[in-house]
Amino acid sequence: MNEFVATVVRGLGNGSIYALLALGFVIVYKSMRVISFAQPAFMMAGALLVSYFVLSMNFFLAVVVALLLTALLGAGVERLALRPMIGKPVFVIAIITLGVDIVVRTVVNAFIGLDIRQMGDPWGLQQVDVLGVKVDQRHLATLVTTLIVVAALFAFYRWSRTGLAMRAASSDQEVALAQGVSVGRVFSLSWALAAALAGLAGVFLSTGIGLEQNLWLTALKALPVIILGGLDSLGGAVVAGLSIGVVEALVGSYGGDLHPIFGGDFFLVVPYLLMLLVLLVRPYGLFGTKEVERI
Amino acid sequence: MSVRKGIAIALVTAMAALVGCRNDAPETQEGGSGVKFDVGVTSEPCPGAVDAAKGCIYLGSISDLTEGPFKALGVPITEAQKAFWKRVNKAGGIGDFEVDVTKFVKDNKYNPQTHNEVYAEIKPDVLGLAQTLGSPTTAAILGDLKSSNVVSVPASWTSAWAFEDVILESGTNYCFESMNSVDFGAETLKAKTVAAVHFPGDYGDDAAAGTKLAAEANGMTFTDIPTAPGQENQGAAVQKLLAAKPDLVIVSTGPTEAATIVGGAAQNGFKGQFIGTSPTWNAALLKSPAAPALTALYRQSGPWAPYGTDTPGHKALAGALDQAMFKAAPNDGYTAGWVWSYPMKAALQKAVDSKDLTRAGLLAAVKSLETVDYEGMLPAEAGKFGGTPDERVFRSSIISKVDPSAPTGVKVEKDFFTGKTAEKYQFTKPCYQ
Repeated sequence: MNEFVATVVRGLGNGSIYALLALGFVIVYKSMRVISFAQPAFMMAGALLVSYFVLSMNFFLAVVVALLLTALLGAGVERLALRPMIGKPVFVIAIITLGVDIVVRTVVNAFIGLDIRQMGDPWGLQQVDVLGVKVDQRHLATLVTTLIVVAALFAFYRWSRTGLAMRAASSDQEVALAQGVSVGRVFSLSWALAAALAGLAGVFLSTGIGLEQNLWLTALKALPVIILGGLDSLGGAVVAGLSIGVVEALVGSYGGDLHPIFGGDFFLVVPYLLMLLVLLVRPYGLFGTKEVERI
Repeated sequence: MSVRKGIAIALVTAMAALVGCRNDAPETQEGGSGVKFDVGVTSEPCPGAVDAAKGCIYLGSISDLTEGPFKALGVPITEAQKAFWKRVNKAGGIGDFEVDVTKFVKDNKYNPQTHNEVYAEIKPDVLGLAQTLGSPTTAAILGDLKSSNVVSVPASWTSAWAFEDVILESGTNYCFESMNSVDFGAETLKAKTVAAVHFPGDYGDDAAAGTKLAAEANGMTFTDIPTAPGQENQGAAVQKLLAAKPDLVIVSTGPTEAATIVGGAAQNGFKGQFIGTSPTWNAALLKSPAAPALTALYRQSGPWAPYGTDTPGHKALAGALDQAMFKAAPNDGYTAGWVWSYPMKAALQKAVDSKDLTRAGLLAAVKSLETVDYEGMLPAEAGKFGGTPDERVFRSSIISKVDPSAPTGVKVEKDFFTGKTAEKYQFTKPCYQ
């Protein structure tokens, strides 16, 4: 039983990372109706900055400064590379985000170098006893931080004037413009938020052993998460991220006991299988908005 | 036929003829010293030649240089090979030729399709490949390498290479390396049970197959634990290790995965010993939270001794490299790139001595190699390329122990040895097949 609980906590830890990444995808999608493929680059940039800042400051301060800079990077990319493309087909804009990802990651990789950079986090590989179950401290830290960030994000969208403006722009840009909402500012803020969330995911992903160039591949796991949760649903991103993390962990640990075919690295396929299964029943994802079309 | 159609056909024919003119089988020429050559060899000097009176042998290099997962190996391998051939050229070259490995260097991004594309691009200009990095990538061009007699140095250690004449591998493969590690574990560490934690594919599966064969030969209980790349994906592997409690674990993953597994298992009180195959190590892991666990529980197997070992070849490597390039961390990619170049040098020398530097001539020279002078980095008999795979495969490997004071964080504990399993094994097909 203890082993099962430890597996679930590990799954929630990984799932929190997927949720943070997915939230970034959803925020950009809600504001611009575009899937931003630049999220892996922001994830790497955030982690890289922390790995440098911890050399001269406290880890937590390093995270705050790094995420602010990553947010600035996100806003800058939107202003320089994406804003001039408004009005162009979303496919074109999505391809531009791919280009941004490659450019930013190439620069980031040059600073990571060939080795593994340390994050200087206080958790390392240490474990803590929770009600008799040994769980990794970093998984707990990831989960708790994600829950706090998600709560703050929801409060921001629900109660702040800027959050309301972002929701308005997401619903109908022209009406929002007519009501005095600066849609351009909404775009910038969306990219800044998405970049900071991806950066935070990168930081937690690199705790433990460290940051290396190949880590960006994990960001791609957010793609089945956003489809599963619904492209425009913040809550969906969180629920789907945590669910996929847990199911992935359970299949990785116990899948082989059911049948050898479910052992080994079968758990890597699980997010996509889940996504397909849910899409068969709910084509807009678990919490996605159903589009009403005139026939 | 309309005039337009006729013109189009004529143009296509002309283009085909032009492409045909630039094929990779030009007329055989003969140099001043009576050496005949065809593709990738010129009477003109190499770019930046030491001796402008000498001709040039062009060797291509296809590596993971920018964004692929093995960049940390590809870059140093490529640099070491440049340094190796520079040293050869300074020492007089190969007969009346010098060797260039700088003009046709391509990035495969560890993508088989890209590998194939860049290979097609440089193939008409090179005699052979000084490096083709990766097993799946090399597999993508293997058919053409064989049909065109393009002798190539692999940057990978899968047991499949022993079955290919055009592949000029050095040292033992993952399969025999793992057999030796299990034999070492059974004899020295008194292990009774063994597990293989490995990536899928011809790297991890090859090592796991060798582990299983040696476990059976030693009467040990064997547990197979396949895992996937990614630090976040190792939780299940750790859990399975804790459940199986093997005395010995053979790891064939990447460095961060290996550290996550060793560190995670140790945190849970795991007492077994780990031996990682060559690609699992990176000295930077000694700065990670897994360092205490690695120092206590981890050993490193390898086809040859790590950077900084006291042999003439290792010393030559250290002397030839620009020390500034790896002040932060020397990397055994440099050692690998250097060692892999010796048989190509021997084959080129033999081909020149036989006055036949054509692709076919170079392949014939490779097949006739019985020994290669590796300047002590490998025994000379490791350079046998004639005979059946069972006759020519080199079966010895080394075991190193973690030593933070060593240049790459590991130091030889047991020098070249062949375990009883590898000694007796009938090598008739790649282990993982």
